[in-house]
Amino acid sequence: MKKNIIIGLAVSVLMMAVACKKSYLAETPYSSYSPSTLTDSLGFEAACYGLYNQMSNFLTYADHQGWPDVWQVGTDIAFATQPEGIEVPYYNYTTLISTDGAALYTWQWAYKEINNANTIIANIENPSLKGISAGNKASTDAEARFFRAYSYNMLAECFGGVPLVSKPLTGPKTDFVRASLDSVNGLCVADLTFAAANLPDIEAVKSNASGKLYGRANKYMAMQLLAEVYLRMGKGDLAEQQTQAIIGSGAFSLITARYGTKTSLPGDAFSDMFVYHNERRKEGDKEAIWVLEEENPATVPGGNTGNAQQRRNWGAGYYNITGMAICDSLGGRGISRMRLSGWVLYGLYDAGDMRNSPYNIRRRYTYNDPTQTAKFGQPVPYNNADTVYKICPHTTKWYQYDPNDVFGFAMIKDFILMRLGETYLLQAEAQVQQGKTDAAATSINALRTRAHAPQVTGSQMTLDFVLDERARELVGEENRRLTLMRTGTLVDRATKYNSNTVVYPMAGLSKTNLLLPIPQQEINLNKDAVLAQNPGY
Amino acid sequence: MRYCLPKLIVVLGLLVFGFGAQAQQTVKGRVTSGDSAVTNVTVQVKGTNQATQTDQNGDFSVAAGSGAALIFSRVGFATQEMPVGNRKYLDIHLVVSSKEMNEVIVVGYGTQKKADVTGSVASVPKSRLSELPVTNVLQAVEGSVAGVSVTNTSAVPGATPTVLIRGQNSITANSGPLIVVDGIPLSKSGGSINDINPGDIASMEILKDASAVAIYGTNGSNGVILITTKRGVTGKPVIRYSGYEGIEDLAHILKPRSAASYVQKYADFLQQTGQTQTNPVPNASELPNYKAGKTTDWIKETTRQGIIQDHNLSISGGTKDVRYFLSGEYLKEKGSIKGYQYHRASFRANLDFNLTDFLTIGTSVFVNNNDYGGGRANLLFATAMSPYGQEFNPDGTYNIYPMYPELLYTNPLIGLYQNNVNHNFNLNGTGYAEVKFSGVLKGLKYRLNAGYNYIPSAVYTYTGRNDNSPLGVATTFNSETNSYTLDNLLTYNRDFGKHHIDFTGLYSAEQRRYFVDAFSATGFINDLLAFNNIGAGATVSAASTGSGLPNGSYSDRYALNSQMARINYSYDDRYLLTLTARRDGSSVFGANTTKFGVFPVAAVGWNISNEEFMKSVSWVDNLKLRGSYGKTGNEAINVYGTITTDNSVRYPFNGISQIGVLAGNLGNSNLHWESTIGTNVGVDFGILKSRITGTIDVYSTHTDGLILKRQIPSVSGYTSVLDNLGKTKNQGVELTLTTKNVNGKDFRWESMFNFSANRNRIVDLYGDRKSDTGNVWFIGKPIGVVYDYKKQGIWQVGEDPSKQDPGSKPGDLKFADVNGDGKVTATDKVILGQTAPKWIGGMTNTFHYRDFHLSIFIQTVQGVTKNDPDLNYVDESGRRNTPADVGYWTTANKSQSRPALSYFNTRGYGYGSNASYTRLKDITLSYTVPPSLLDKAHLGSMTVYVSGRNLYTWTKWIGWDPENTYYGRGTSDWTNNYPTIRSVTVGLNITLR
Repeated sequence: MKKNIIIGLAVSVLMMAVACKKSYLAETPYSSYSPSTLTDSLGFEAACYGLYNQMSNFLTYADHQGWPDVWQVGTDIAFATQPEGIEVPYYNYTTLISTDGAALYTWQWAYKEINNANTIIANIENPSLKGISAGNKASTDAEARFFRAYSYNMLAECFGGVPLVSKPLTGPKTDFVRASLDSVNGLCVADLTFAAANLPDIEAVKSNASGKLYGRANKYMAMQLLAEVYLRMGKGDLAEQQTQAIIGSGAFSLITARYGTKTSLPGDAFSDMFVYHNERRKEGDKEAIWVLEEENPATVPGGNTGNAQQRRNWGAGYYNITGMAICDSLGGRGISRMRLSGWVLYGLYDAGDMRNSPYNIRRRYTYNDPTQTAKFGQPVPYNNADTVYKICPHTTKWYQYDPNDVFGFAMIKDFILMRLGETYLLQAEAQVQQGKTDAAATSINALRTRAHAPQVTGSQMTLDFVLDERARELVGEENRRLTLMRTGTLVDRATKYNSNTVVYPMAGLSKTNLLLPIPQQEINLNKDAVLAQNPGY
Repeated sequence: MRYCLPKLIVVLGLLVFGFGAQAQQTVKGRVTSGDSAVTNVTVQVKGTNQATQTDQNGDFSVAAGSGAALIFSRVGFATQEMPVGNRKYLDIHLVVSSKEMNEVIVVGYGTQKKADVTGSVASVPKSRLSELPVTNVLQAVEGSVAGVSVTNTSAVPGATPTVLIRGQNSITANSGPLIVVDGIPLSKSGGSINDINPGDIASMEILKDASAVAIYGTNGSNGVILITTKRGVTGKPVIRYSGYEGIEDLAHILKPRSAASYVQKYADFLQQTGQTQTNPVPNASELPNYKAGKTTDWIKETTRQGIIQDHNLSISGGTKDVRYFLSGEYLKEKGSIKGYQYHRASFRANLDFNLTDFLTIGTSVFVNNNDYGGGRANLLFATAMSPYGQEFNPDGTYNIYPMYPELLYTNPLIGLYQNNVNHNFNLNGTGYAEVKFSGVLKGLKYRLNAGYNYIPSAVYTYTGRNDNSPLGVATTFNSETNSYTLDNLLTYNRDFGKHHIDFTGLYSAEQRRYFVDAFSATGFINDLLAFNNIGAGATVSAASTGSGLPNGSYSDRYALNSQMARINYSYDDRYLLTLTARRDGSSVFGANTTKFGVFPVAAVGWNISNEEFMKSVSWVDNLKLRGSYGKTGNEAINVYGTITTDNSVRYPFNGISQIGVLAGNLGNSNLHWESTIGTNVGVDFGILKSRITGTIDVYSTHTDGLILKRQIPSVSGYTSVLDNLGKTKNQGVELTLTTKNVNGKDFRWESMFNFSANRNRIVDLYGDRKSDTGNVWFIGKPIGVVYDYKKQGIWQVGEDPSKQDPGSKPGDLKFADVNGDGKVTATDKVILGQTAPKWIGGMTNTFHYRDFHLSIFIQTVQGVTKNDPDLNYVDESGRRNTPADVGYWTTANKSQSRPALSYFNTRGYGYGSNASYTRLKDITLSYTVPPSLLDKAHLGSMTVYVSGRNLYTWTKWIGWDPENTYYGRGTSDWTNNYPTIRSVTVGLNITLR
């Protein structure tokens, strides 16, 4: 029996000693994809949709509610009235230092988009990739390259030359160096040239069950962005080639007549473009080149990202006036963190300019709360304190109202990122750059004709005039800071037009601020090489 | 693994059936002490589960072989061992003892005589395990064990406290202890301490130093709590009922301003912000009540009389070969804030069978259901409401916006309309088989423990129109955790002359599988169906399955594979040595690692009082010196935390949501456990016939390889990657003292006292000895600190801030310009204090007079600084009501502590305040019915008691309670703010025989 015991024990000890199957401790994520698994056509499609999701995060970021204001206050068109914090260094420039939050978010946002685009580009260009047609490969590649160029262009406008990464990284790297601005521009031009050649025409985009995906990249988006890149590079002639091609394609036309869902209400052709559910090509906006769509997540799961703050920050807090109630026609609930500058409100527009109509820039209010019968229907009188953020004049472009979410922390509204109106403005800028002032006047007059504004002549055509016209056409819509940084006019124009605000005055603006500081955190973390700081920071 | 374990069991199983039984004989005897018989003495045949108890005459009868020895034990007496030899009758004299050192305690994978323990193991005093109105046992432990910091961050019915043993080692990883119930890791298998009925607990030990926790290897660093449930003993069935019922109220109410004070505040707010006053109250809908002079006490409306009741019924007993313990519990707590409730029903069956004299099998099975459901009122909104707010609509329903057009603060009571189901179930089955070897292998035992847990949980909510959801929103959340634990234990326990050897070997495997799904729907035509028909919602979508997890569904798997060996050696009960090593392989370690870590520990002990030279020192009953040194681990990494993954995202085109992917986590396949090197030196002593007994421990631990998110340049597309980087250390001292101050015949007075202090420091973070201000981690400082501006007072009219904080106005907080640069910036922040207590203590005084017993327990927590959200109203102090105790500056009162109402705190100052407190935690007065009365009633025992909890708190804190974590509006779990409650209960314990 002893023998049995010994044998038995020996066996069991042996079994204990033998390591069990190695797979027992292996890990396979059940619920996440890994970057290497997405190399078929549906995988590439999903990776491209990811780029749009990340794109939207630039517009809908709300961890700091003052985010949209970063790009508007402290320029010529707007000033802060109820700053949240992140935008403070963008009017009090003395506090714009290398630890700036907005510069860091921009930097991180762009490189995240670039990394995702790089993964697609590397995988689609992998020679061993099978099962995807050459045409599909080229259009996928072009879509990824468009977003890569968009991100690098943003980085170049904000920071100048930045580290150039064109391949996906598989592990941490801490020895980045800044590339020259020329090489960043070179990559943008190469990517956009490729994209313009390989992206579909606007009517040739893919479809889903609801029709054509006008929200996805088309070749005119690449061309318009390429024009902007050329303008920044001082190559007006090349820029004009792109804008001419877009205008000449006939794919888009300026909105000159009323259309869409609100034609029964007072308004004009210009205001119709910014009505919720009028903004898409499919909804009648033939001027739109690129609309980044948003849907109410109450009806479309995953319909939006973040919590877009544009309505809140541009819109007025009129409901703080007794007798005023939140309503659709006043654009829902705003808190007016910023206000249009006096220059925009009182000096910019010629008489009769549609873009300054009450439907586009609201200046007057009427008591609308029927429970306050004494005042109902009467005009709200102005007193100075109330016009700062309660009944301040404001752009109506971000009006949005959801009766099921009156408080409305998130704005659910499409973003018109490129439209033909801007193409004319880019073209005018390119023509001024080449000295073709008469042609520039013709470009500008295309917009003025639509706006019923007086025509202009070649002798009036300067870069400043084009920038004025951009404000008239695109105020609240364009990223004004980037436009002025791109054209090097931020210091002059902001000082000239917007230095007289009292409550949150502009301070310390200098040429230094034509570029943002390279985020200090990036410099510190990049411990094996030097990421040079921009001068003055 | 799946294949090899069963084989092993079969082999061992076959092995044991080769043994024959030894000749048995019946041994009888009587146990006495002094002149009287001792009843209820457990008489156990040494090395077996065979046992009986003495009857009322002290007589016993047991079957035992001639080579066997009998062990006689009873609480309060020194355990005695007696070889049977050829005797058929034994006369045993028990000695009333200094029991402490002869107590047998659970040490993990076995038990040990306390005298032989070399590590730092604390037993929770038995008095904390009964007669207290607690819903989980950790609430009872609070303040009663040195080195164990228990914090009830919330008093929400069913909330579980956080536990920190000997300070925080990890910075980002879980710092809570491993909780093991009857050998099965509770928390790792998905269970909660709420799943364990406190009435089922026989003993609870807390393993603190490296030597004690080493047996749990990579899960040991944070300390281990071992819970052992009651089991049957041979004897007549004992039917026991214990229960209590009582009332609960908020221990302290932070009263909102009165109506007059509220109106004055609004006027002051307008004046201070330079606005003209047009109405006496801020909002139009407050006016009617204001004009009518009608006010609402929102705290009264939001609270109610809380009631707690608990009923336990157990039956235990057994024959020579079958022993059983069966129990059932029902607990119900109706919260003091409307809507909150918790109830639990549980059942347990612990069974043991001696199949042969060498084979014992048994089970520990329990089922438990926790129910936390129900719509809840919102205490924070109750404090924010205007006294003139309109509580009801004309139809008697709650008005959503009592302060309309103010939309930020909704009626605190509309949450009661929410339809909410929230429950989980824990089905736990553990079985064991134990084989004893004899002959030359005497002392050798093999034991197989196999445990399986099944934990489904469900959370369903429906928020309808009356709860401010105009479309109706339903969500469902179902999760299921399945886990098993298999332990193969080989033990060898034998004396060779004066040498005693006790060996434990372990081979074990653990696996946990988790699956969750969550859906939401919105757009219901009415509120009738709630969450019962998700498909009736217009838009059905995947809902969050958890923080950082995908929407809709998620699944993962965790596995652990371990070997452990422990040798306890003692010579002559004087010199003790423990050597332990555990080798742990965990699935969460990176693919580039071996996945296995080894954790060795050595400990020595010296029972000085057993030395010859101490025999003459009569006033010392016990003196023992202990020391340990070794390495333990913390798994620290989340499942899949080392793997590079993509996130799935969505984006809409033409109104159709498309699925996209984005790069998610950048993995690090080199990640491994955090390791802690610990040293412990301790003294156990008992003097003056054990009138004074105690323990002193001093320890020091150094932890390295802490898992931290290493920030990387975001040019790479990622912002961080996990890495083993940081280092921390903890040093501390612990003292436990038990004294018998008065030990008379009728009157006795005993005290228990514990004190512990811990010093926690960050040694390094990212390998460069640099602090991380962003995360508020500073080298050389504790892990949790309040880092903020230094408040000096309030700017007064006439003071010039231009040299210190330009732009400040009278009524603004005055902060120190620490670096003297003429302005206040983030660089002027300083460390204001630490968030973990510098020292904690507890004191229990128990008085016995005849059959009455009075126990008073006081607990203290000192040296804590926390941000106080009850002082911080940012830009809202003009819009809402605020507490009466939280004043504000005016030009007249020239306050130096509170800012003006116009101060919006744009710097985000957190109002760090002293959160230390001392609490009269429990008073219990009980009456034990004397045996003479019991006999007439045919009862075994009966105790009635009245118990009060959280009766009084001494603190400087302004707020609801210093112990709780209270959240400001819109942060974290702010809708469930629920402060400490005071309860008064009456209870009854009764045993039928």
